[in-house]
Order: sequence, then structure tokens, then C-alpha cells
Amino acid sequence: MGRTGMGFARHVGQIALLTVGVVKAVLQGGVSLRMVFAQAYEQGIGSLPLVLVTAVLSGIVTSQQGGYQFSSNIPLYILGSVVTSSVVLELGPVMTAFVLIGRVGARITAEIGTMAVSEQVDALISLGRDPVPFLAAPRVIAGMLVTPVLVGFANAVGVVTGLVSARATMGLGPEGFLYGARLYWHSWDLFYSLAKAFVFGFMIPIISTHMGLITHGGAEGVGRNTTTSVVFMIITVLVVDATFPPLFLN
Amino acid sequence: MDISEQITIEYENVHKRFDTPVLSGVGLTVRRGETISILGTSGTGKSVLLKTTIGLITPDRGDVRIDGVSVYHSNPAELRGIRQAVRYVFQYAALFDSLNIYDNVAMGLEPETLRTLDKKVILDRIANSLENVNLDPSKVLSKLPAELSGGMRKRVGLARAIVGEPRIILYDEPVTGLDPVNAATVNRLITSIAERTKVTSIVVTHDVPGALEMSHRVALLDNGKLRFVGTPEEFKGSDDPLVMAFADRQAAARAALKLIEHETEDNESGTPHAVSIGV
Repeated sequence: MGRTGMGFARHVGQIALLTVGVVKAVLQGGVSLRMVFAQAYEQGIGSLPLVLVTAVLSGIVTSQQGGYQFSSNIPLYILGSVVTSSVVLELGPVMTAFVLIGRVGARITAEIGTMAVSEQVDALISLGRDPVPFLAAPRVIAGMLVTPVLVGFANAVGVVTGLVSARATMGLGPEGFLYGARLYWHSWDLFYSLAKAFVFGFMIPIISTHMGLITHGGAEGVGRNTTTSVVFMIITVLVVDATFPPLFLN
Repeated sequence: MDISEQITIEYENVHKRFDTPVLSGVGLTVRRGETISILGTSGTGKSVLLKTTIGLITPDRGDVRIDGVSVYHSNPAELRGIRQAVRYVFQYAALFDSLNIYDNVAMGLEPETLRTLDKKVILDRIANSLENVNLDPSKVLSKLPAELSGGMRKRVGLARAIVGEPRIILYDEPVTGLDPVNAATVNRLITSIAERTKVTSIVVTHDVPGALEMSHRVALLDNGKLRFVGTPEEFKGSDDPLVMAFADRQAAARAALKLIEHETEDNESGTPHAVSIGV
């Protein structure tokens, strides 16, 4: 337990230092915009199809299960509120984060880890380039920019497919669905959803970059750190997700 | 080739330990314009010593000074100055996979140079450095490292090292993994770069004939300590058994055979197995 705790504390400390480095790089204007755009394209456009597929399925499943659980003395239009709140508050941000962990986070750790074990990170340092503005900052900035946008799309698509699914299987028309959705809607919910996305968009690239930079031990090390990184990111997303309601919804 | 008496690199009592001690009090001075090769069996800390030169590995004790400035007790601006003066040629070139050869070699130039110099001048400098390592710029500039052979990648690594006109070049096993023809080409390039640019060079290598041919001095690292430092002639004439084994391939082969026979005898008390070796 002591060793695990020490290891965890070391990771947290190193991630904090990396974060400070990223902030310094941004403030000093040492981050290439071209690299930020390239990363934003890769993380955003590259992930969009999978995010949308996940959002479609989330909307359908929420609508189906919500409808199944309703008894006859609960008006069916409440389903509109259940689907909208579930998708916007929880499923949109979290499912998008899981897609990004698998598609972007794992890739970042593997890519930077391979650079570390093939001495490319050492080469950067020897050439007088700091790896933080060169490798970490563009990925972190891009993550923080594109994740809220992706979650916005996921929310919209999830609600629309929930509406379509409710009509097709429960016989709840769009008017009823939207009436229910509006009845319990708070504008704060959208801000809450995008704020979560922003935090996830920071955590996923910073953890995956950190795990890549500390990789050693050849191909085995890259595999090991990529797995650890994915586990680390999933747990972090779930912990952050659990801390949001008591902080922002009560 | 003339070399100055002025000391440019100084290792002072360098200690480094990972699980076991790797460097145990290494002290060495390298003069300006000198080429020194560091030999030693695998795992004796040659590359670790080289990496301490520019702070890629921090020693547990001791210091490394470049032109009198400590690598480990200097401020970030001084450290940047040191790194500008030194270039490191990595064992497997360490080219950036996602950048083409133009961008890879351009990384050898200072960011300030890249910002201020005209693009045409930068292209000329990159093309010149590629030509200096016998590569045709028109054929390689737009390629990715993965599209080049191992020998070509090593030469691009050399081009990246020389494009910024450094005062010191550190070579980490520059011919490892190359066939004899490509190895000889790289060794000749190291010699010609040193002669043309008067650069100070430290070459970590297993290629003993190449080291003896291109170096002013040769050092032998053994168990984390420098066992021998001297000219190639002194190296060839040494009566130290390990130096003799390195200097004479037949002696090395005989020593290896003896070692394997000894290990086989030890193993035969357990599970016997056959070992054959051609000398």
C-alpha cells in the first residue's frame, strides 16, 4: 500500500509539474499553432464518427430503458426529460470521454512512449527543444478545445435519437417528448455538461502525455504504459465525474 | 589534424548508479579539436557517460564541464548555451518519425535561426549538410525517415548534428547495426567532419579498428572506471589483458572462447549443453 501510494503520489506530482510546464509554454507563446490545429483535427474530426455512433446508441438505449421502467401512472412525456437530462448531464460527456481515452489517449501514450524509447525525446532535449511545448502543450490545448465541441454534438445527437426512438417504440410524439424535456430543463445543465467536457479534455491528454514521456523498456514498456495510461484515464474520468454533482448540482 | 591544448570537456569524478553502479568515479578531459573514442564491453556505462555530457542523464556525484561551465550547476540560459554548442548523434539516429528529412535536419538549427534566416538560406544549409554526408538532397528531403535505409538514417542523423555548426559532437555507437561498407562510410564521415570543421568529437563505439583509425586518443571503460586512456599506438602496445583483447580480434575471440568454455564447464554440473564457436 505504501509503495502504491508513493507511486500514485509521484504520478500526481509529475502531472502537476507537466501542467505547470504547459501553462508556462502557453503564457510564453512557445506553442506552435500549426501543431495545435493538427492535433485538434486529429482529436476532433478523427474522433467525431465514433463519438456520434456512441451518442446515437446512448440516446436509443436511454429512451428504451426509460420507457420500459415507466408505469402507467407516470406521464410518458416525462421520458423527454429523463432522456435529455441523462444524455446531457452524464452520457454525452462520459461516453465521449471513453471514446477519446481509447482513440486519442491510448494513441498519445503509445506515440510519445515510442518516441521516448527510441531516444526521440532525448534528441529533442539535446537539440535544445523542451518536450513540453513541443509534445504536451499542443495535445492538451487541442483536447481542451475539441472535447466540449464533441460533447455538444454527442448531446444533440443523443437527444434527437432518443426522441426518434421514443416515437418509434413508445408512441411518444416529438411534441410530448420536447414538452417533457423543456419542463425540467435548466440552462445550467448544458454549462455543467460542457464544463465536464473541458475537464476531461484536459485530463485525457495530460495523463496520456505524462505516461508516454516516462516510458522506458522498449516495446514492452510502451505496451505496459499504454495499458496503465488507459486504466489511469478511465479511473480519473469516473472520479472527476463523481465529484461534479456534489460540487455543481447541489 | 591540429588539436589545441585547451580543455573543452571535463568529466570530474562522475558517479552514476541505476540498480548497480554504472559509473564509479570517471575523470577525463578532452581537448578542443580532439577526437576521442570510448571503448568497452556492453553495459559498462559508455552511453551513460556520453549522456551525462549534456544532462540527458544526471550523475549521482561529480560534474561535467564544457568550456569551464558546469552542466549541472548552470542556470537554464547557460545550459541552453551548452546545448547549442553540442550535438548528439544517437545510436539509431533518433529521427522524428512524423517529420520529413528537411524538417528533421532543420531541427539541428536553433529556433532563432529558423525564425530569422531566409527560407532559401535555410534550405541551402540543410542541402549542404546532407551533401556533406553523401546524401542527395533532391532525393531525400521530402521523404520520411521510415522510407530510408538504416545507413541513410544514420547519415541524416549526422547531417542534423552538423547543420548547426556545433563545437562538439557526441557520437553514440554510430556504426552499430551497419554493414562493413556503411560502417566504413560513417567512420570516414566522422573523420572528415572533424578535419573540416575542427569539431571536438567523442565517439562511443564497439568498432575498434575504426576507433583506432579516426581517434587522437582511445579510452577503455571497464566496470564503470576508465581502465586505459592513450593514443592508438599506446593502445596497440598496451600489455593490459583487456586492452590486448580489444586491440587484437584473435585475442578477443580466444578470450571469448575461454569464457564460454568456462561457463559451459560450470553449467555441466547442472544441465549439460554444447557450445561451438568459430575462431
